[in-house]
Amino acid sequence: MKILVPFKSVPDPNDATVAGAAVSTPKSVINPFDEIAIEEALRIRERGEVSEVVGATIGPPAVDEQIRAALAMGVDRAIRIDDSRALDPYAVARILGALVEKEAPHVVIMGKQAVDDDSNQVGQMLAGLLGWPQATFVSKIEFLDKTRVRCTRETDAGLEVVEVNLPAIITTDLRLNEPRYVSLPGLMKARRKPIEILTCDQLGINVRPLTTVLSVARPPKRAAGTRVESVEELITKLKQEAKVL
Amino acid sequence: MDFAWSDQQRELLDAVGRFATQQLNYDVIENDREGIFNHEAWKKCGDFGIQGLLVPTEYGGLGTDPLTTVAALERLGHGCKDNGLLFSINAHMWTAIIPLVYNGSEAQKKKYLPGLCNGTLIGGNAMSEPNSGSDAFSLATTAIKNGSRVHPQRQQIFVTNGPVADLLVVFATVDKTRGPDGISAFLVEKNSPGMNASRKLEKMGLRTSPMAEVFFENCEVPVENLLGKEGGGAFLFTRSMTWERGCILASAVGSMQRLLETCIRYANERKQGGQSIGKFQLVASKIVDMKLRVESSRHMLYHYAWLSGHRKSIYLEASMTKLHISDCWVKCCEDAIQIHGGYGYMTEYEVERELRDAIASKLYSGTSEIQRNIVASMLGL
Repeated sequence: MKILVPFKSVPDPNDATVAGAAVSTPKSVINPFDEIAIEEALRIRERGEVSEVVGATIGPPAVDEQIRAALAMGVDRAIRIDDSRALDPYAVARILGALVEKEAPHVVIMGKQAVDDDSNQVGQMLAGLLGWPQATFVSKIEFLDKTRVRCTRETDAGLEVVEVNLPAIITTDLRLNEPRYVSLPGLMKARRKPIEILTCDQLGINVRPLTTVLSVARPPKRAAGTRVESVEELITKLKQEAKVL
Repeated sequence: MDFAWSDQQRELLDAVGRFATQQLNYDVIENDREGIFNHEAWKKCGDFGIQGLLVPTEYGGLGTDPLTTVAALERLGHGCKDNGLLFSINAHMWTAIIPLVYNGSEAQKKKYLPGLCNGTLIGGNAMSEPNSGSDAFSLATTAIKNGSRVHPQRQQIFVTNGPVADLLVVFATVDKTRGPDGISAFLVEKNSPGMNASRKLEKMGLRTSPMAEVFFENCEVPVENLLGKEGGGAFLFTRSMTWERGCILASAVGSMQRLLETCIRYANERKQGGQSIGKFQLVASKIVDMKLRVESSRHMLYHYAWLSGHRKSIYLEASMTKLHISDCWVKCCEDAIQIHGGYGYMTEYEVERELRDAIASKLYSGTSEIQRNIVASMLGL
C-alpha cells in the first residue's frame, strides 16, 4: 500500500520579517496543513498499515529545500513536477490527477488548503477528476481494512464520521496531529533519498491556469472602536450607523 | 582559506537555529530561580541530534567534523537562552562522550554511546576534589584493585550533572608513587553500590545545570569499566580538557550574538532626550565593542575547530580560545546590562541571568589564570 502526499511551498507564516516589513523575502516552508498530512502518512506507515509514503510538489528547483524537509521528516521518496508558473487550483488538480494515474497510490492525503491563498479547492477537484471518494477537513483517520478508511471530519455543525472506500482523497484539518520536528539524523538521511523530476509533458498533460491574479493587497486597517454610555445608545448606533438592526 | 559554509552545513545550521529558538525556551526564568534541570529539553536535544553531533554514525551519532560541530553549538547558544542546559550538554559531550569515543573499548562504546547520543543517558565526569582543583593531578581519590572489582574511595566535588547523571567518568589514583601516570579513569554507572551523589550545590549562575558532590565509600566497579589503559587517566583527561576548552564556549559565541542583537534592537527603540539611545556615542561605542568581541571570539573558535579537524596541534589554541571567549562573554553581558539601564538588572529582561551564567566560564574547565599559565608556558616563558 502506498500513500501519496502532495504538498505546497508557501511563505513562512511565522516569519516575523513578513509582517509589516517594507522589503522582505520570507523564507519558504511546507504549507502547515500539508505538513500535518505528511505527519499522518508517516504515522500510518509506522503502524504498518502502508509500506511507502511518496511526497510530491510542483515548482522550480528552489522548492527542493521543502522537498528535503519532507524527506527529512521521513517521506520515502519525492517527486517534483518542474513548473514555475503561478498555477490555479484546477491546474494543480489536473497535474496531480496525472501523477496519481502514474503512481497509483491507495490514498492521497493532503492539506485542506494552503495558507498563502486559502483556496481550499485542490483536494475536492482532484477527487472529482479521478472519480474517487473524498473526506475533507479530517481530524482523525482509522484504517478499517485494506479497502476502507473511517474519517472524522470537522464541520461547522460538529464532528461527522464518514467511511470511504479506497482509493480515496483525504484532506487534513489542524487538529489531526502535531507534526514531528525534523531532526539532524533525518536531515542527513534525506540527502541520500531520491528526488524525481517530472514535467507536464512527461505526464502527458497540457495545463494552463484559468485565472489570473491581478494584484494582492492587505485588508483595510480596522478603525478604532468607540465606547457607548448606555444600552439605548448602543441600539441606536447599531440601527442608524452600523445599520445591522 | 574558505570561509563559506557548504549547502549541507548551512542546512544543518539553520535547522539547529530553528530547533533551538522554537523548542527550548520555556520556563527558563522559573527554572533558573528554582534551580531546575530541564529533563524534557535534554531529551529533545538528544532526539534532535545535538549530543551525538561528533559521535561516529555507527554508535548513533552524526559524525560531524569539529568545525561543523562548534558552529552548530554556536547556533544552539544563539537560539536557546538556557545556558545551564547548554553547559550540561557541553559537560556531557566533552567529559563523557569524548573519552568514550577516543578511549572506550568496542563493548563500552556499543553499550553507552547510543544512549548518550539520543538523550536517554546523561554523562559527566568526576575529577575536582575539595583540595584539588587547578592542580588536578594531585588527586586524593584512590582506587584499590581487588580481583575483578575496583574500589574508588573518598569524595569528589563540583560534579556537573552529578545529581542527574547516569554515567560518570571517574578519575582515581591506583598507584600514588607514579604521580599522574598512576591515575586511571573508570566508567561508573548511577546506583553503583557505594557511590552517592550528595546535596545539590546552589550556584550563582548556570542554575539549571545541576551540580553535586559525589562520595565513594566501598564503591565497587567491575574491572571491565576501566576506561582506556591503566595509568592512562591523565592523558585521557588532558585530551578531554583540550576538546572542552576549545568547544565549551561555542554556545557562548551564540549567546553574545543574541545579546548584541537584543542591544541593537533596544538601542533603536528606547528614546531618551528625543532620540534613540543608540544615537548617543557612548551607547553606540559599547555596541561596537560587543560586535568586535563576537567576531573575534567566533574567528578564534572556528580557527581552533579547523585546526582540530585537520589534526593539527590545538593545545595552545584551546586555551587561548577559552580565555578570550570567556573574557568577551562576561564583558558583553556587563555592557548589555549597562545599555538596558535599570531594566537590564531586572530578571524579566533576561539580561542579568546571562551575566550570572557567563562568569562561571572564567572558572570551569581551568580558570582564566590557568589558561594564561598554559599560554605563557607555550610561549616559552
